[in-house]
Amino acid sequence: MIVEFEKAGLAYGGEPETLSDISMQLREGEFRFLTGPSGAGKTSLLKMIYLAHRPTRGKFSLFGEDAMNAQREALPALRRRIGVVFQEFRLLDHLTAFDNVALPMKVAGINQNQYREDVSELLNWVGLGHRMEAKPPTLSGGEKQRVALARALVSKPDLILADEPTGNVDPAMSERIMKLFVELNKLGAAVIVATHDLHLVQSLGKPVLRISDGRLTRSSSLGGQA
Amino acid sequence: MTGPDPTEAPPIEDGMHDGPPPKRTLMTRMRAEPLLPEAGAGGAPLTAVIAVISFLAVLAMAAVLIINTAASEWTSTLRSEITVQIKGVDADEIAMRTDAAMRVLESTEGVVEASLISQSEAAALLEPWLGQGNAAAFLNVPAIIEVKVAPALRNDLDLLRNRLAAAAPGAALDDHASWHDRLATAARSGQALAFAVFLIVMGAACAISVFAARAGLAANREIVSVLHLVGATDDFIAAEVQRRFFILGLRGAVVGLMAALLALGLAALAMRAGVGADSFLPQFTLGGWLILWLLAVPAVTCFVTALTARLTVLRALQEQY
Repeated sequence: MIVEFEKAGLAYGGEPETLSDISMQLREGEFRFLTGPSGAGKTSLLKMIYLAHRPTRGKFSLFGEDAMNAQREALPALRRRIGVVFQEFRLLDHLTAFDNVALPMKVAGINQNQYREDVSELLNWVGLGHRMEAKPPTLSGGEKQRVALARALVSKPDLILADEPTGNVDPAMSERIMKLFVELNKLGAAVIVATHDLHLVQSLGKPVLRISDGRLTRSSSLGGQA
Repeated sequence: MTGPDPTEAPPIEDGMHDGPPPKRTLMTRMRAEPLLPEAGAGGAPLTAVIAVISFLAVLAMAAVLIINTAASEWTSTLRSEITVQIKGVDADEIAMRTDAAMRVLESTEGVVEASLISQSEAAALLEPWLGQGNAAAFLNVPAIIEVKVAPALRNDLDLLRNRLAAAAPGAALDDHASWHDRLATAARSGQALAFAVFLIVMGAACAISVFAARAGLAANREIVSVLHLVGATDDFIAAEVQRRFFILGLRGAVVGLMAALLALGLAALAMRAGVGADSFLPQFTLGGWLILWLLAVPAVTCFVTALTARLTVLRALQEQY
């Protein structure tokens, strides 16, 4: 099991719960879309999965480990198995595109000689081979998105999370990015993509988790090819 | 890193760029961009403060070393010399007793040299109190013999004291013990004070590092958050901060060291040029062990700065994330 929640809740500070009674499972090789209106809790759910926040109640396991009660020292190893495409990219402006993509490798203590070719290949693969030395402030929204995508994928994660990954790119690029996630899923990665774009969701025909007012309402497929 | 290789999937191409991508140049490949930007860790102001701290630390350590050297010289001189003072009812008796005392000294094993201070020299020593010529006129000035002794004899003067008393009644042997003790106490106090100043300055280095590390962490909150989310450990982030502070500390410490060496060099020149050529104050030169010890001060400053920053960041990360 990659992700498992059982009646999990999340509250920030002493506020009312942002997420309540979340129960879901994501197995190896599964793909889920996560949809719902703005403010429904999509990003909060993803944050719980990538361990930015831990649930304040319930049960939560990640890669078969009890992430709810895991020691702080155990979290980095779990996070390294997750590739996240953040909604706001969260690239480091003082680093080049190359160094941003290489970040997960650096923090894992891997020598540059070992990852240099991989990072270059990945940047070429997302069509940014010519922008390796560019820093994020000089990149367009779409280019930043692809750098963020490359960073999420460089460590060959077991779980890929994407928060509105098509929010800053044109429809054609949106479709290509979504197909990429499907291809990575076929290669074995579990994937959760949070999106507003119901057209894309329908076109890919993958199972959908719906969230509304902080609660998962149902899991379904919106038609199309399975 | 057990998931699929993304490049096995079809590539994303935006169709806007043809031709091979530019290679990373050797320079860009070799350059290790710090993960925490320079501006966030205090930069120039922190370097300047560390320079001042290092300057003061080097001066404090120099004071410790110079006082130590001077005290050793003073006490060594005092320990290797004794004084025999011979009194009598008149000059003839003093002269007779002096001859007897000199014979005892010359026949004593461990006496390296015995020098009789002349009456005129002894009288001159009293002139500041009695006025010129008055000592010889109104006083029966005792004879004084300066004796250089070997350490073995210095440690056991009782036999010599008894022999002198037998041969020259009225002879008093002064081993300078009270002076030695007072000088040693004064030197220890001076050294302790200088070392306390050094510790206070190092404390200031710690305090400024704590402040700057916390400020840097706050300024780089987003970066630290991203590093955590891509799998960085607290140790990794703390090591980045430590590296940054070590570099800043090194820059500041070297500047402070240079300024302190310049100041000490000028002080040494001034003393040698006459301020204290015959002074009781210690003479010193910049060289040898003194320089080596002083070079260690910036290294300690760097170490303290970097280690404090690391520990501060580790604690802050535990508190905040």
